[in-house]
Amino acid sequence: MTPGPDRVAGRAPSARFRVLAARGLLVLPAVAFLLFFLDLPLGVTLWWSLRDPDTGGLTAGNYADFVNSKTYVTIILRTAMLAGSVTVMTALIGYPLAYWMLRLSPRAQAVVFALIVMTFWVPILVRTYAWIVIFGNAGLVNRMLLWSGLTDSPMAFLYNVRGVAFGMVNVMLPLMVLPLFAGMRRIDSRLMTAAETLGATSGQVFRKVFLPLSLPPLAASSILVFILSLGFYITPAILGGGRVPMIANMMDLLVNRFARWEIASVNAIVLLVATLLVYGIYQWLRRS
Amino acid sequence: MLAAFSVAVLVFLCFPIPIVVAMSFSSARSLEFPPPGLSLQWYVMLRDSPVWLNALGLSAGLAVTSATLALILGSLAAYGLVRGNFPGKGLVESNLMAPLIVPPVIIALSLYIVLARSGLLGTLTGLLAGHTLLSLPYVVLFLSVAIRAFDIRIEHVAETLGASRRVVLTHVLLPNLWPNALIAWLFAFLVSFDEVVLALFIGGRHVTVPKRIFTELTLQISPVITAVATVLIVMNAVVLVLLAVLARKRGAVAAAGLTP
Repeated sequence: MTPGPDRVAGRAPSARFRVLAARGLLVLPAVAFLLFFLDLPLGVTLWWSLRDPDTGGLTAGNYADFVNSKTYVTIILRTAMLAGSVTVMTALIGYPLAYWMLRLSPRAQAVVFALIVMTFWVPILVRTYAWIVIFGNAGLVNRMLLWSGLTDSPMAFLYNVRGVAFGMVNVMLPLMVLPLFAGMRRIDSRLMTAAETLGATSGQVFRKVFLPLSLPPLAASSILVFILSLGFYITPAILGGGRVPMIANMMDLLVNRFARWEIASVNAIVLLVATLLVYGIYQWLRRS
Repeated sequence: MLAAFSVAVLVFLCFPIPIVVAMSFSSARSLEFPPPGLSLQWYVMLRDSPVWLNALGLSAGLAVTSATLALILGSLAAYGLVRGNFPGKGLVESNLMAPLIVPPVIIALSLYIVLARSGLLGTLTGLLAGHTLLSLPYVVLFLSVAIRAFDIRIEHVAETLGASRRVVLTHVLLPNLWPNALIAWLFAFLVSFDEVVLALFIGGRHVTVPKRIFTELTLQISPVITAVATVLIVMNAVVLVLLAVLARKRGAVAAAGLTP
């Protein structure tokens, strides 16, 4: 009886490699799928960004138009600024929250953790919609203000940069807190005990021991939040009321309203490169 | 003070949700708080609205099909990645994870261009491919963890004892890995059900629930959406509880929901 190709154990190394490689064939359907629905489309997008709309030949003109256009530069800067401020704000309010969770009893910790995971899984659309219900021009707060006579016209809480940032912080907060909390939990608590035993005050223990050790997970979570914020579409579209477009909203307009494929592709490539760059930094930080 | 601050942040994070749920049972004609009385009017309106029911049907169908497709492609790939050894493995792995990093709007735009050229724009096939693409990395992620944790020696023992590849699959792998596969499937289901951007770009006249909500929101704010939102919240909560139960059973992948 000849052994089947499955019998890896005890085979010669070359036969073992053949079996391992044969198992690798299992990735082929997924790879083919990705090639057709991800890699090819991204390649075509790159090509479109370099395509002359009139002649169909290769050109860098679209990128030149992009860089020289005040609109696109403004939107890129706004996207970067918004993503940056959202990251800083989620870090500023997420760090204390994660630190507080760390010191709760296991039961309370589990409850808070579950609460945050639950919120995370409520669709972004629904969470964004909730802000309109509450802070919109016809929302609850404005109704109360009008009813109480404090104002005679609705206050514009939303439909400006602040409203968009507010909504994005709300959406991104779980993505900051959950990995940060996991990272903080991995810090060896004996280090803090040791510092205390050696006479450090609790402030010193935090500043000299805990804080430096918690910076790498904080950096990792921040980069994650930043990357996801760069590509945000829903929140600026809904809470910005069309007045605060980010790069993703611009792409939507260019394609669905103006049919400007080339310049939309340039936007896509710029956003893609920025995202991959930041992601590269993230991987590099994780390794070192 | 830390506690007070943290509780305030938690409230900021969570309070919009109960308010939406409360409003969906309001008897007022518009968003009014506190609700003057209880009523199921928005749910009745939802039940009697063919537009919303169609959207729900489409979303459910898409989510089930794309999750199943992603599970088939993803479980094979995860097994190949963990147990196989071949040139270009790192490249394949990062390609599989790419849809997590690349912003959805870029995927949507590039699919739009390619699907338009192949005549698939606005078809269910195109939409299905897009949804499968977005959930594929989650399936691969969850199943790779599970397969890596599953002792390869058990497979070896079965093989040495003469089990065929099929017997190893049906008697060793499936009985041990099905809860993880179910977790991955449920995850993929939610990812698909909540997807907005793809539907906006490549959906054409096929309107999913999130697309319907999105377009209604930009037109006017009808309280029916509070009822739809509540349905979505409940659905997500139910799936999440299922995930937690399954994860506890496995003792693994307790971090479901941690990896975006």
